[in-house]
Amino acid sequence: MSIVAGFDVGSLSTKAVIIKNNKLIGTAIIKSSPKPIVSANMVMKKLLDDTGIAQSDIKMATGTGYGREKIDFIDNAISEISCHSKGARWFVPSARTIIDIGGQDCKVIKLDKDGNIKKFITNDKCASGTGRFLDVMAKVMNIDVSELGTISQKSTKPIAFASICTVWAQADVIKHINSRRPVEDICAGINVAMANRVSMLTNAIKVENDICMTGGVAKNKGVVKALSSLLGERIKKLKKADPQLTGAIGAALFAQEKL
Amino acid sequence: MRPELKEYNLDWLFASTFSVAKNLLKSSPGEMEYVYNYIPYVSPLLKPLIETGKPALSFLELFGEYYTNIVNAKENGKKVVMTTFCFDPCIFYAVDNLLPVTLEIGTALTSLAWKRGSADFMDYCTEIGFSETGCSSQRGAMGAYLAGLGAQIDLVALNMGGVCDTNANAYNFAAQYLNVPYYGLDYPSELTTDEVREYHHKDYRNLVHFIESHTNCKFDIDKLREVLEEKRKQDDLMNEIEDMQRLIPNPVPGIFHIMIYAARYTYSGKKKFTEMLKEMVEIVRKNSENGVSGLRNGVEKNRTFLVYIDNYSYGLSLYEWFEKKGISHMGNILSRTFTEAAPYTTGIPGTAYRIDTTNFDTMIDTLADINARMPMTRTIRGSYDAPNMWLDDTLSLAKIYSADSCIYLGTPGCRNTWSNIKLLARDLEAYGYPTFIAYGDSFDSRVETWDMSEMRFEEFYNIRGLL
Amino acid sequence: MEKIFFDAATNIEIPSVQQWKEKGKKVVGYTCSFMPVELFYAADILPIRLRGINAYSMEISDSYYGPFVCSFPKAVIQLAGSGTYHFLDGVVISNGCDTLRRMNDCWRKMGEDIKGTLPSWMYYVDVPHKPDGHAFDWYVNQIKKLIAAIEKQFNVHISEKNLKKAIKVQNKVRKSLWELEKLRRETPLKLTGTEAYSAIIASTMMPVDEYQAHLNAFLKTIHKRKQDVADGKKKLFLGGSICDDFELVSLIEASEAVVVGENICFGIRDENDMVSETDDPIAALTAKYLSASVCPRMMGWYKERSHMIINKVKNIHADGVIMQNIRFCDLHGTENGLLERDFEKYNIPSLRIEREYGPLTETGRLKMRFDAFIEQLKSADINEQKI
Repeated sequence: MSIVAGFDVGSLSTKAVIIKNNKLIGTAIIKSSPKPIVSANMVMKKLLDDTGIAQSDIKMATGTGYGREKIDFIDNAISEISCHSKGARWFVPSARTIIDIGGQDCKVIKLDKDGNIKKFITNDKCASGTGRFLDVMAKVMNIDVSELGTISQKSTKPIAFASICTVWAQADVIKHINSRRPVEDICAGINVAMANRVSMLTNAIKVENDICMTGGVAKNKGVVKALSSLLGERIKKLKKADPQLTGAIGAALFAQEKL
Repeated sequence: MRPELKEYNLDWLFASTFSVAKNLLKSSPGEMEYVYNYIPYVSPLLKPLIETGKPALSFLELFGEYYTNIVNAKENGKKVVMTTFCFDPCIFYAVDNLLPVTLEIGTALTSLAWKRGSADFMDYCTEIGFSETGCSSQRGAMGAYLAGLGAQIDLVALNMGGVCDTNANAYNFAAQYLNVPYYGLDYPSELTTDEVREYHHKDYRNLVHFIESHTNCKFDIDKLREVLEEKRKQDDLMNEIEDMQRLIPNPVPGIFHIMIYAARYTYSGKKKFTEMLKEMVEIVRKNSENGVSGLRNGVEKNRTFLVYIDNYSYGLSLYEWFEKKGISHMGNILSRTFTEAAPYTTGIPGTAYRIDTTNFDTMIDTLADINARMPMTRTIRGSYDAPNMWLDDTLSLAKIYSADSCIYLGTPGCRNTWSNIKLLARDLEAYGYPTFIAYGDSFDSRVETWDMSEMRFEEFYNIRGLL
Repeated sequence: MEKIFFDAATNIEIPSVQQWKEKGKKVVGYTCSFMPVELFYAADILPIRLRGINAYSMEISDSYYGPFVCSFPKAVIQLAGSGTYHFLDGVVISNGCDTLRRMNDCWRKMGEDIKGTLPSWMYYVDVPHKPDGHAFDWYVNQIKKLIAAIEKQFNVHISEKNLKKAIKVQNKVRKSLWELEKLRRETPLKLTGTEAYSAIIASTMMPVDEYQAHLNAFLKTIHKRKQDVADGKKKLFLGGSICDDFELVSLIEASEAVVVGENICFGIRDENDMVSETDDPIAALTAKYLSASVCPRMMGWYKERSHMIINKVKNIHADGVIMQNIRFCDLHGTENGLLERDFEKYNIPSLRIEREYGPLTETGRLKMRFDAFIEQLKSADINEQKI
């Protein structure tokens, strides 16, 4: 079977994978540049450097993400919703509900038993409920966004935040930092605020098991735990690879099908 | 929605809380303090309420009775009509088998009594398709009723079309979602013309017909007269309080405002409300005679008129902050009755209503006139700078009550006021009234927590040298 | 695409308007689809629909409007404050919704601050929120008052004869627009949604005689076409908030779709959407403009509207529906929620989106959603074939 590639050019990060016969043989995640084509080229270079594979070996490449149409070396572009659905089923073949919290939006996708999209719902408001919200809060806390989940595990009393507007939530966080509230409670509060915003989408679509989370925020244990608690359901962990790669994996699987 | 919220109906929670809470007034201060330890979440609401004395008991009895009746409505063969705060409910009390439930009061009470407020119910509305940007004042209690966590709703009747789209829209959504009959009274932008008066009267007659056809009840003329005469007494008592409020210092305790309008929007025309008002008048009269401020610490540093509504953050935070700062609450748009004898309508023809209980027709016309002059339906129906509209009313009231400053509090869902508050604030400043526009949500502290709101208020009052 | 329609859909002060003004004639802007344009034509005044396209920033309107309001009237105020509407001799504002009616307040205040931005005539019309009974009589009266106001302001007389003539002329345009709509239901489909849309919007921007001539020519052109523009594409129906920014339709059609019908406040509802030419003209205008409304501001009439929309979607054989609302438009935002539920009952796939108005629309975000919706519809096709 031939080698195919999938690219997911997001607002915060760009991801790429190479697969062969449904198996991952190379992955790369980089910070996105303002220009999608630059991001795509950079991630391609990293991927090829890390795997030793030549670009000419890649028989088909599919792109997704907001910058997908700007990538000149891909063969076709498919929406993130389709790619995340496909990718999630690679991780969890029984997945019926996918919660993807990306850098700048949040999507909940419902699949039928065959993995076809039945319905999807997206966050149409603003940064609140997206990865950007966590980024902003982490910056205010002067920690890396990847630490928000770990630090929050020690909390026993999450602080309630103004969660509807990221800017006002930021003011709230600053106030609590200045009041010397425990950092773990602030982190936990941030995660809970995030989960609350996302739960409105999940409740609107009426989740079905198995549920999984994709995207970078799936790595935040605090958000996953809070959301699972709100849903009253277990959220299946994506173990085979970094959940942030889901979109790229889905894109690669589409490329494989096309081939 | 959190599973624990589905254990009890919202109106049942109110019924039991208020019905039980009234017994606290039989306790000694020591006993009460002891009990407060066991009700840490509701005590921030109950404490300042109970401090008012007799009116508190009436208030708790009133709301205990109100919600108990709603909870038991079906069992007692009554229908429940969902309505809004700017619709005088006394007409519903003139029909034997009908009980009104006013959503905004429910949302406010949830905000005041629960730390999380009605956030879960608000989100439920969004989950079932209602716009998240709609006004939060309906969304809280509405979410409970639409989730089946309240009495069964049989019909929806209100006024708001033309004055507040987002309000009317919420009720329209509820009616469609529950698949129950809906009637909305329409309000053109004029207030005082004969043409609009006739329009209101015709519209109201259609409403009467709607109520009769959906309750299979005919209006009892004697009962209607009794309700309206009771309302007349209530208007007189409220006018007396409004009049005394002009004194410096203001003898009216700030908390009286919310108690009065909460009761007015739910129990207009009912004797319990009259009782509470009488008790309040007694207290205010005594304060007036003694030249004493209604503020707890007795020192009035500032008189603030709220140009729109209050903030209903947990535990009466706004009111407590006013008390702490020595700010006399001069009422808001919700406090006003616009009856003919009110201190701010005397001598202005056509803008007020008069209660005429001569016959059925005059009574229906009266009710139509009352509804056209309820808060919001009167003040924000036309251009903000038109006669008898928001600017006119605000300037008159600020002057009559010797206000030092004005505050705008509302919700992000209020398209109407957010579309002209900057204009109003500008004009108020030009007339010499320092005016603060708060960007939070009076019913949803997830938009801006009370701590942040308080910080901003402090900033305003300090910078403008108002304290 | 017909250039003349494209120009009218993408600009405000188009050559037709300039030529009208050069003849010394008057132009009046109006806000809503409730406005009987016939009144103005009967007075030889050009009525143009107030639009907010090409408002790339909001710093002027932000001084008057607060933050939590729909971007459409804000965009109109922005343009007015920038001088775009300098050519207007008057503006008639009606209470389409709370935010729109406050445009009256904001525009007048802005006129005090920015000289030359307030037209010499501002008039407000109270449109009822119900179509019948005393509300019908009220609107008849409002129209009579508006006629009197136009006559006084512009020193004209609006005779019954001229009014009837204006009704006939507009009905002819409506019939032609219905012809256009019928073509959009045919196979092969010979015109894109973007083309149809620009033609529909143009009807509110140029003198009616000129418009009729262009529309007739356009219809002839379409009839001669052979290519099926829907080949390999999904047919979509568009509903929701005011949507005169036809770039949104272009964006949808860039996702392998073609828009074949709308339920928005432009164009005509159906073939019966006419003004009676036999009844009293004012009553006839009231009947059409008030009673045939597609707007959720007519609260309590959701069931009638939803049946009308669902039937339309079925008759058009749309593969799916896109329901959009401008952020903070609670009327459409909420009605879209009810419609989504009802579409589901009829197995009509739908997509609900929220957006800002005009050039402020976040095209990247929306394109992703449109692409995903089309992919969803296509995979449903594949599934059906497998079965």
